[in-house]
Amino acid sequence: MLEIRDLHVKFHNRDREAVAGISLTIGDGEIVGLVGESGSGKSVTAMSIAGLLPRKQCDLSGDILLDGEDLLHAPRSALRQIHGRKIGVVFQEPMSAMDPLMKVGEQVGEVLRIHTRMSKEERRARVLEVLQAVELSDPEAVYDKYPHELSGGMLQRAMIAAAIVIHPTLLLLDEPTTALDVTIQAQILELLKKLNAEWGISMLFISHNLNVVRKLCRRVAVMQRGELVEAGSTDQVFFRPQHPYTKRLIEAIPTRHGKETL
Amino acid sequence: MKYALKRILMLVLTMVIVSFLTFLAFELISGDPAEAKLGTEATPERLAALRHEMGLDRPFPVRYVSWLAGFVSGDLGTSYNYDMPVWELIAPKLEVTLCLCLLSFVLITAVSIPLAIWSYRWTGTAFDAVRTAFNQLCMAVPPFFTGILMSYFFGIVMRLFIPGDFPDLRTDFGEAVTHLFFAAICLGIPRAAMTVRMMRSTVIGEMQKAYVRTAISRGNDRRGVLTRHVLKNSLTSAVTFLGQTMAELIGGSVVVEQVFGIPGLGRLLVYSISNRDYPVVETLVVILAFWVVLAGTLADLINQRIDPRLRLGGAV
Repeated sequence: MLEIRDLHVKFHNRDREAVAGISLTIGDGEIVGLVGESGSGKSVTAMSIAGLLPRKQCDLSGDILLDGEDLLHAPRSALRQIHGRKIGVVFQEPMSAMDPLMKVGEQVGEVLRIHTRMSKEERRARVLEVLQAVELSDPEAVYDKYPHELSGGMLQRAMIAAAIVIHPTLLLLDEPTTALDVTIQAQILELLKKLNAEWGISMLFISHNLNVVRKLCRRVAVMQRGELVEAGSTDQVFFRPQHPYTKRLIEAIPTRHGKETL
Repeated sequence: MKYALKRILMLVLTMVIVSFLTFLAFELISGDPAEAKLGTEATPERLAALRHEMGLDRPFPVRYVSWLAGFVSGDLGTSYNYDMPVWELIAPKLEVTLCLCLLSFVLITAVSIPLAIWSYRWTGTAFDAVRTAFNQLCMAVPPFFTGILMSYFFGIVMRLFIPGDFPDLRTDFGEAVTHLFFAAICLGIPRAAMTVRMMRSTVIGEMQKAYVRTAISRGNDRRGVLTRHVLKNSLTSAVTFLGQTMAELIGGSVVVEQVFGIPGLGRLLVYSISNRDYPVVETLVVILAFWVVLAGTLADLINQRIDPRLRLGGAV
């Protein structure tokens, strides 16, 4: 469904390539994890899929194909048709990723306003439905709230609702749980699993937290300094890591008894 | 409601403090209204008699309190210089100055916000340097200078108005507004240039924020991002700035009124200060204080309408 072939990204103001030739595929209905420390290029990879890189400030090469459609070199106008409609993005900090002056309901419905001819009432009905689907209690109340009136966890649910309101084929999740506390984190992961199972949305889940990735993804790819150092099924990567960097990452996972084996 | 009460209390307090400070300032600087009225040749006896008549022989606190009591009850006193009630003296001039300031304010707002967006769109192009230079020039040029140029060009050469001969605002409204229009432009140019600069940098700052990226990821085009998200977020700082502008215009109008020969408050204020016309100056100062606080309060109220986060404190 999504195919990345030999992707290179180099920002003009940096010496090193942010992404140095990675290839990755995501199958229909699959959740793929992308892990690595900060600066490893995982977010840049996601941003290049979402078309959010400043094209004038970087060199891009390779291919990114979504159902055969080129995303990397497509003109902006074509990309706008894909943004929101086929690809939804959820960012790290829901509080700053939401427009502080727009009601949550309107932001969730924004994709509908841009990509459909739905009337205001139809949009509202659809938004309430999706707010229900992301397990927000009292969607009516949430609809009319401003972002600062909701908690981080509720807001991230609303962000997810905004990203899936039009039923995209791919959901990009850029560290969606990092800013949340642990119990909320677990709830959001459950929600994502449910959406994957019930709606069949493919997901690319980006995180520096291996534990979180292990709970959610069947397949995982590990990035270091812009390169893909290891990729495979989650079990394989966790129990038989091949690359020394992956081994170190796994050893760095805090465990209950200090040296609990996975 | 609590918020409104607080603002009104602030307003009253500001006006009282300002009027007191003005009284105090006159007490401290030298000069005597009785002497200003009679001239330096007057005999000491006549001076003393006039001072007694004007109530100037009473101690300072008594004079202030009696002025304040009069002001509160609606009696603004009588001008020393013109021997007429202060309100009758001020009212027509106040009308003219308010017209000038409001006209200038409307021009500034109407011109600077679209210009700011337009200049934002040119960011990074060759035109940018020209725009910056022009903006700097507009900020730096003093209103009296543009005033002289305008009077010469539109007044003397093109005869759109007669410099120095201001028509009556009530009988010749159209002509009076034409006259005020050119003065309002001179008054507004520097502030409009500042507003453009401020607004442009606010928009640039907002464009860097995370919610813009979210808006793009939903398929918004450039225009959608700007009109649906960034402009609203930039508006609060513009409103605050325009509030300050509104307050400052009345001060700037003093000079422009001189250049264009407009009989507004500015001239009256300067004349009354140099002649120690206390009742007139006091009233003018209180009006100015009221204007300044009012502008700030209005800006705050508008911002609360725009940004729900600002409503938290007062809306209980």
